[in-house]
Amino acid sequence: MASVRPLAGLRVALGGRGHASDYARQLLASLGAECEAKGDGESDEHPALAWRRSGLMALTGRAGGAARMCPVPLTACADGALAALAALGGGLRVAPGSGAALMGVRAQFAGLARQGAVSPGGTCRLLACRDGHIAINLARPDDWAMVPAWLESDDVPNWVTVAARVSDQPAAQLLERARLLGLAAAVSAAPTPRSWLELNLLGAPKAPRPRCAGDDRPLVVDLSSLWAGPLCGQLLRELGAHVIKVESSARPDGARRGPAAFFDLLNAGKASVQLDLASPTGRDRLRQLIERADIVIEASRPRALRQMGVAAEDWLAARAGRSWLSITGHGRRGDAADWVAFGDDAGVGAGLSELMHRATGERLICGDAIGDPLTGLHAALAAWASWRAGGGHLLALSLDAVLRHCVSFGAPRSDDALHERHARWTRVARSRRNIARAPLCFAPQSHARPLGADTAAVLSVLGVRAA
Amino acid sequence: MKTLKAGTRLKSAACDTEVMVIRTRPEPVLLCCGGMEMIAMDGQKAAAEPDAAFAQGTLVGKRYVDEQDTTELLCTKGGKGGLSLEGAILVVKQAKALPSSD
Repeated sequence: MASVRPLAGLRVALGGRGHASDYARQLLASLGAECEAKGDGESDEHPALAWRRSGLMALTGRAGGAARMCPVPLTACADGALAALAALGGGLRVAPGSGAALMGVRAQFAGLARQGAVSPGGTCRLLACRDGHIAINLARPDDWAMVPAWLESDDVPNWVTVAARVSDQPAAQLLERARLLGLAAAVSAAPTPRSWLELNLLGAPKAPRPRCAGDDRPLVVDLSSLWAGPLCGQLLRELGAHVIKVESSARPDGARRGPAAFFDLLNAGKASVQLDLASPTGRDRLRQLIERADIVIEASRPRALRQMGVAAEDWLAARAGRSWLSITGHGRRGDAADWVAFGDDAGVGAGLSELMHRATGERLICGDAIGDPLTGLHAALAAWASWRAGGGHLLALSLDAVLRHCVSFGAPRSDDALHERHARWTRVARSRRNIARAPLCFAPQSHARPLGADTAAVLSVLGVRAA
Repeated sequence: MKTLKAGTRLKSAACDTEVMVIRTRPEPVLLCCGGMEMIAMDGQKAAAEPDAAFAQGTLVGKRYVDEQDTTELLCTKGGKGGLSLEGAILVVKQAKALPSSD
């Protein structure tokens, strides 16, 4: 955590006893807030029951084998991040387990199930290589076209030939070449902790803002796609923000092709603008839209917007009170700024599959795109904290850093402790016959807007003109 | 002329450009950057600037294809030169469609 503490001087009452409440207070303290931990708060749900209730237990383990317990309280991190967000903003209907429920919701809507070393979504696999295990996530249709170059092989690319070629190559070389090609890959290794947020004050802040937005509602321009960024935007909308979802006409949000209920959940209520980012006019309109925003959410590699003439640092310096939220796979610095990650491979890279292997002896993908919902929740907290503090911040979150922070929270200190906890938590989770899912903290009252349905209206209202 | 393979890495003799071959023709080809044939990653650069006719520049992360769509290169490091195959300039390919889920 940087020395910038946007919530310094803010006192937040946050009761509750247990992992989730502890995690919420840890997040708020890392932002500089003083948390009053009232001893008479309610007890959080047991992490083992929360893991099962969220649907993640059913999503982890071999197909046809036992549903598996995660030996670190990841659901508590989701619930804690949501509790911290609700402490800073009004309007969220937070019930016990609402944060964790977001982690299982995509699989619920898409009807996904556990598949062992294959992600529930099917695009990420944990494969044995010469000296360990590597996850490769071929999520984009075009990714398969890169496989011959990745493996230096003329074999017809499919999972059988990929597994065979990967098996005799060292992990470091596979990882380096995947990164060079822009493929999402991660080596399975023991977890090491990181701080969840990199925060820099690059613009002048305005006066601190109150808990409830009232008439002073931030304008959010959300350039992100898929899960983490759109979830963040939707949470900000629930807190009172106006959110404009901006998509490229040539490359719209791929989640539009997924389950409609899931896309609606994350995007209903946002205005939809589409721009032809290949044309100078489209790029100019994008720059003008960003110019009018109070908060920008983007989940791209830093070079992508830079190549379009948009630099977060300049934008923050140009006007007081703004916040720029950057979601990446591995951060914005150095070579890592160009590395791609998706939710499942990021989980492997953060150590979850290694922990699952130590606990169960099985090579498993843990949960469903687990980095996405956790990062979306943390991102919303960072953005609203910056807004409350008056803005001026570049808020950089990566799937990798958020996951490493979560995995290290309440992690067992030895293999013996890990085994003991895994066995005990598994018994706790199985002690109930049926567990209903927790309610979500928001429920869309409408469908998401069709692609570009609000382009003309938004450009007109905001006075965006063709160059 | 060189026979290229998927996965082959090359660098420009005339600028900072580096590429990886994604796919190509089976026969030997003349692949240039800045008007000079591209060389192995451990090869010696020429002390020359890109030819003015081949100085369109390359951008890291972009994929470049020929008009017949037989060859595709990924730029792994950008530079001042322009990529050409058998004398014809390669053009930027549209970015990958996003996944429907990850």
